Amino acid sequence: MNDVLVGRALTKRFGQTVALGGVDIAVRGGEAVAIMGPSGSGKSTLLHCLAGIMRPDAGEVHLLGQRIDAMGERRRSALRRTRFGFVFQFGQLLPELPAEENVALPLMLGGVPRAQAVRQAREWFAPLGLHSMEGRRPGELSGGQAQRVAIARALVSKPAVVFADEPTGALDQQTGQDTMRLLVEATKHNAASLIVVTHDPNVAAWCDRTVEVRDGHLLAARGARA
Amino acid sequence: MNLDLTWRLLRGGGRKSLLGTWLTLGAVIVSTALLLFAVAANFAFAARGERGAWRNPVPVEEGPFKEGAVAVEAARFDFVGDQAITVVDLAALKAGAPAPPGMPRFPAPGEVWLSPALAELAERLPADQLAGRYPHPKGVLGDEALVHPGELVVVVGHEPDDPELTAARSDDWILGKGPARVASLAGTPSEDSEAYRALTLVASVLMVVPLLVFGGAAARLTVARRDQRLATLRLVGATPGQVVRMTVAEAVIVALAGALLGAAGYAAAAPLLARIPIAGGTWFVSDLFPHPLILAGVLVAVPLLVGLSAVVGLRRVVVSPLGVARRETPPAMRFVRVVALLAVLAVFPMLSRGSSVGIVAVAVGLAFLCLNVTGPWVVGLIGRVTARTARAPARLLAGRRLVDDPRAAWRTVSGVALTGFVAGFLGLLSPGLFADDEAPAQLRVSAPAAQAPEIAGQARDRLRAAGVTAEVKVTGESSDKVVVAALGSGADTATIDRARTALAGLVPGRTPTTADDDQRFGIQILADVRVGTIVVLSVSFLVAIASSGITAASSVLDRRQTYGLLRLAGTPLEVLDRARRAETLIPLTVMGGGAILVGVFCATPFMIGGMSTVGVITLAGCVVVGFAGVIGAGALSRPLLRSVTADPAPRPD
Ligand SMILES: Nc1ncnc2c1ncn2[C@@H]1O[C@H](COP(=O)(O)OP(=O)(O)OP(=O)(O)O)[C@@H](O)[C@H]1O
Ligand SMILES: [Mg+2]
Repeated sequence: MNDVLVGRALTKRFGQTVALGGVDIAVRGGEAVAIMGPSGSGKSTLLHCLAGIMRPDAGEVHLLGQRIDAMGERRRSALRRTRFGFVFQFGQLLPELPAEENVALPLMLGGVPRAQAVRQAREWFAPLGLHSMEGRRPGELSGGQAQRVAIARALVSKPAVVFADEPTGALDQQTGQDTMRLLVEATKHNAASLIVVTHDPNVAAWCDRTVEVRDGHLLAARGARA
Repeated sequence: MNLDLTWRLLRGGGRKSLLGTWLTLGAVIVSTALLLFAVAANFAFAARGERGAWRNPVPVEEGPFKEGAVAVEAARFDFVGDQAITVVDLAALKAGAPAPPGMPRFPAPGEVWLSPALAELAERLPADQLAGRYPHPKGVLGDEALVHPGELVVVVGHEPDDPELTAARSDDWILGKGPARVASLAGTPSEDSEAYRALTLVASVLMVVPLLVFGGAAARLTVARRDQRLATLRLVGATPGQVVRMTVAEAVIVALAGALLGAAGYAAAAPLLARIPIAGGTWFVSDLFPHPLILAGVLVAVPLLVGLSAVVGLRRVVVSPLGVARRETPPAMRFVRVVALLAVLAVFPMLSRGSSVGIVAVAVGLAFLCLNVTGPWVVGLIGRVTARTARAPARLLAGRRLVDDPRAAWRTVSGVALTGFVAGFLGLLSPGLFADDEAPAQLRVSAPAAQAPEIAGQARDRLRAAGVTAEVKVTGESSDKVVVAALGSGADTATIDRARTALAGLVPGRTPTTADDDQRFGIQILADVRVGTIVVLSVSFLVAIASSGITAASSVLDRRQTYGLLRLAGTPLEVLDRARRAETLIPLTVMGGGAILVGVFCATPFMIGGMSTVGVITLAGCVVVGFAGVIGAGALSRPLLRSVTADPAPRPD
């Protein structure tokens, strides 16, 4: 299968700090890639550049052959809403919305009528082990449950790529493992690619391959490349 | 003990909590300054009343064992142009009668003393228009004799048996006070000064209640800034006492600083406020400075109230540290709140225009407070309806947010909604203008029937001597005839004043007046009610818009992480803006409209005639200004929303 997302010679500086020093990376359709490395090495910066959240100082990002880093903020924002899904460490759910409406929100933003959006959102709950959690508010969910709701939200609008920055960082070992398994399985099931930033080798083990970042550069690839 | 830690919390809280502290400080400054204004206004009117008291004589009760009378005093109004002149006639009954206020000694018979403004006017106008009425002024009255700096007052000394002080006068208190034998010149505040004080009391209640609500909201804002951090401290093991002491200390320190700055701001603004004309004149700046004890009271009360409302706001954190750290479905607000409002409103139809002003002030204050208590309940209800019927995401977000924290939403709109109450109340109470039909210029003075023809003859002679063409005749059926000098339709102000001057003293103790003069005080009171309405509404709007701006900014800060992540995930900022706007406008429309209706309802018992155009215009103006103000204040926090969500990796702090 062809590369879905490609980053070429990505460079990003913050003042004197070189966060990215010319990174090349390609992610195939349906592939799960883990990004590992020490704190401050540039993992999040790489993720943000690839996801169109941040503009690299130099280099290019292509999604399905289309260059996205040069687009204006408005188009990149629309792209993030429709083609990408996001899972963060925590705090991404709106505390006042019930879980099902949190999941339905991206659909509603895309113009799907509310009733249909909620119906579609509900279908995600059972497969992710969230029986009867539809009406609960984020404050009434455990950390692991909240992350699974976030996964449902990232996937509900059928994105091409899901980005996750330390999605299990706030969870205990076991819950983290379970959440990661669900994340990988669900993205594969939807034929979406997955890019996960993590510190945890056990989490990375769920992915097809791992890339190591050191001081803004990629080390040699590790793990099986399918 | 904890002061050191408090100080570090205050300084070390990062940009976000520092901004919260600034917002609280600003809110306390504004509230203190306006609170001082509302309080000082009462004392300022009282001071005017006190200073004017000496011209309102209290007859002494004479008897063998009572202190004897020392002087005879009478007061009436004269007019020049469209201004009233207070004429005080005095005669000593004994040697060593006390000096009236503002004069070095008791005026000797035949002496005339003018107030500075009258002296200046007498110089400026031709003598046959004004100065001729009070020839050879002996001196100028000091400020202690005057109600306001520009007041026109003249004191005339007489012999006790002078006709001015023996002839019967008109018994209409508006036109003056007949001769009275007095034991001192202390007098008593006049009826109209008492009426002004009563109206001021009602006006200050209308201003103080939203101020207190605003101040409380500001105090809770500090707590909201901190509750996350404090919940963490609780989880780490700080005792409830420590948490409370720390937060309250912080709130009180900020409030004290704000109160001092607010007092300084009020002092700086006082000279400007002194220029607001009420009852025919501007103010002595010193009247607008409250007594030092009152000032000290406000400076103590403001930090205390802020501290108190900080404690109330903290109760949740202290009771359950998890309650704040984890957001749960809030308990539903009780219907009791609505019952309270209905109960208070039920009282209003029983009130009437005859009720004592104290009772009315209390009832209005209560209705106002109940409206404030009912607000969050209604906002919650509106939120449920909005969320249930929402189709677009912005509405859904707005509705859910209203349900989640109706109190916060209410804080944003309460000021404007409560101003709606004020506007509704005053809108109904602003009477229309008097019909302004062109009356032919004529001066009328009443005279005892027996002397009327003779007086008419004198009037003819005097007017001819003064070169004023007029037709003089006698009308009236009763024992008091009225001598009318018709000046013809071409008479201008100068001609009328020449005629007044020529006729001065024609009938002892009585003033020739035009139809306009007779309405002068009614017109004055209407003008004052209008000025008062504008002042009260300006204050309310200032408070309302400041509070909605502050709460909008703080809600952005509170939710910056969520907003930031939503923006990363591609949520258009316009949706967030629209949601935030709906979050304010929906409750504003419902509550503002409701509050106006309640205000109108509360005002019905005191209504004079139908609703006036002025009232309707005032109301409509308020609605426009209110919406524009709240939308504007909300728009101010849009750049803030952009800046806090621009950081690509929002971190919880
Ligand atoms: N907004 C910013 N301003 C200045 N410097 C930044 C900014 N964001 C990141 N950096 C710097 O860029 C470098 C890479 O940061 P990045 O967040 O990508 O690291 P990371 O690998 O994700 O670290 P962690 O594992 O701790 O999350 C760091 O040295 C960081 O200090
Ligand atoms: Mg990172």
